[in-house]
Amino acid sequence: MPVTLLSDIRDYPWTNLLTGILPVRVAARLPSRFQSKQAPIVPAASVAGNALTVVIAIMSFLACLTAGAVYMVNQSAQAWVNDISSEITVELDPVNEADIEKKMTLVSLFLAKQKGITEVKPLTAEDSAKLLEPWLGQSSALQALPIPRLIAVEIDRSNPPDIDLIKTALSQNFEGVTLDDHRRWQAEIRTLTRSAALGGIAVLGLVAAATIAVIVSATRSAMASNREIIEVLHFVGAHERFISSEFERHFLGLGVRAGLMGAVAAAIAFLLLPLMTHMLGGGTVTTAETQRLIGSGELDLPGYFLCVLVVIVVACLCMITSRLGVIRVLKSYA
Amino acid sequence: MIRFDNVGLRYGNGPEILRDVTFHVLPGSFHFLTGPSGAGKTTLLRLLFMSLRPTRGLIFVFGENVSDLSAGGRSELRRRIGIVFQDFRLLDHLTTWENVALPLRVMGKKESQYKDDVTDLLRWVGLGERINAYPEILSGGEKQRAAIARAVIGRPELLLADEPTGNVDPVIGNRLLRLFVELNRLGTSVIIATHDHALMDQLNAPRLMLHNGHLHVR
Repeated sequence: MPVTLLSDIRDYPWTNLLTGILPVRVAARLPSRFQSKQAPIVPAASVAGNALTVVIAIMSFLACLTAGAVYMVNQSAQAWVNDISSEITVELDPVNEADIEKKMTLVSLFLAKQKGITEVKPLTAEDSAKLLEPWLGQSSALQALPIPRLIAVEIDRSNPPDIDLIKTALSQNFEGVTLDDHRRWQAEIRTLTRSAALGGIAVLGLVAAATIAVIVSATRSAMASNREIIEVLHFVGAHERFISSEFERHFLGLGVRAGLMGAVAAAIAFLLLPLMTHMLGGGTVTTAETQRLIGSGELDLPGYFLCVLVVIVVACLCMITSRLGVIRVLKSYA
Repeated sequence: MIRFDNVGLRYGNGPEILRDVTFHVLPGSFHFLTGPSGAGKTTLLRLLFMSLRPTRGLIFVFGENVSDLSAGGRSELRRRIGIVFQDFRLLDHLTTWENVALPLRVMGKKESQYKDDVTDLLRWVGLGERINAYPEILSGGEKQRAAIARAVIGRPELLLADEPTGNVDPVIGNRLLRLFVELNRLGTSVIIATHDHALMDQLNAPRLMLHNGHLHVR
């Protein structure tokens, strides 16, 4: 099968593919080298109807959206993990501490002396209160709450400190001081990313299965309506491979055409996504949460490359499915 | 070239259409296949062309037992056989030229290799002016000639024709018979199924007579 497929790809009339993808009126205006000199043995109109093109285009659109969304979530999560993995947070319990500011200074000085720590940034009480604002709102009551004080510590990722050693030293020297290296958060983000990826793969699998089912059905229908042509081809000595290539060429054109339509629609959706997120955001907090999950909502170049990949996969899926479908039906005729 | 040994054929549980049919076709021979309507002439041609399998008996085509052949093997043998159907079997969406060129296209030949041959043959059978016409606007006789041209364009080793002169006037009929004779002189074995006695009388060729499912050579 692989050798057959390779020789099929080599022998394929690629210059005619363009005319197969473009609408008939546009294709007729192409230079002669792109024009097919002979009519296709299996007429295109008897294989690929508009409804089938629309269905495959929708499948391609859904696949591009899924692949792009998973990619964006993954990129955003990766950026988040990179961000928090270069930072640790030291938390000071404010309860029963008369002079919390002095303790903040002492702990900061202690941390700054440790190997592998590049920057120590104590957060003020206002900074800590601001972190709670999205959930509790702006209120003077925040001042009265015993909000933990935080020290953001940036670490040298190329020469990281011994976190466990620092944790032990802090607990021995200071009371009510804890260190959070964000491992739990990293694990949760990874779980979220994996879940999104698995969900995306499941959706892509369903889209692929639906595409295969539609193509199998369309292949059978095309073969039934062209049965007389198949018989004549048999009578003039055509091999199954020749007959299947006559059908698969139409399905390849259909796959490329419909795949491109779906991918272009998805690309437009991704281009408009930041604007839509802003317009339909539902408030600052929701917008901020959405952006935390999928970033700014803008797909970068590798993300758009995924859409191109979807077009290639859809076209190959159409071609291979129709080929196998035709050979199966031909065997049943025999 | 062709050998039938005690071949029988029935459709489903029906009566046997052909019974104990035994005959040989030698290379370069010319035969008429005749008999009353419904005697099984078309069925016998379909067996020769491997589009039917015998219920019993053995059929050898070009030395190969057709029962043992794969689909690919049958296709290879069919390339060595030209067939003219009673109902022409031209493809309506292809021009006359493209229909005639179809066997060569299927063989994977390039258009430049056969372009002139197809045009010359179409002119010879009187369809020079109808090269770009589609079958639906051709008359019955023109379709018949196009179908014959398609059958002979690949210079087959065996030509099977089912009532090839049934839809043409005597002048064109004689011309087509000359084409078959010419092909036969070049080495092609020819079997023509017909009940046109005037046509058969023009040639001193053996007649395979089908009657009540039995075959007699006369």
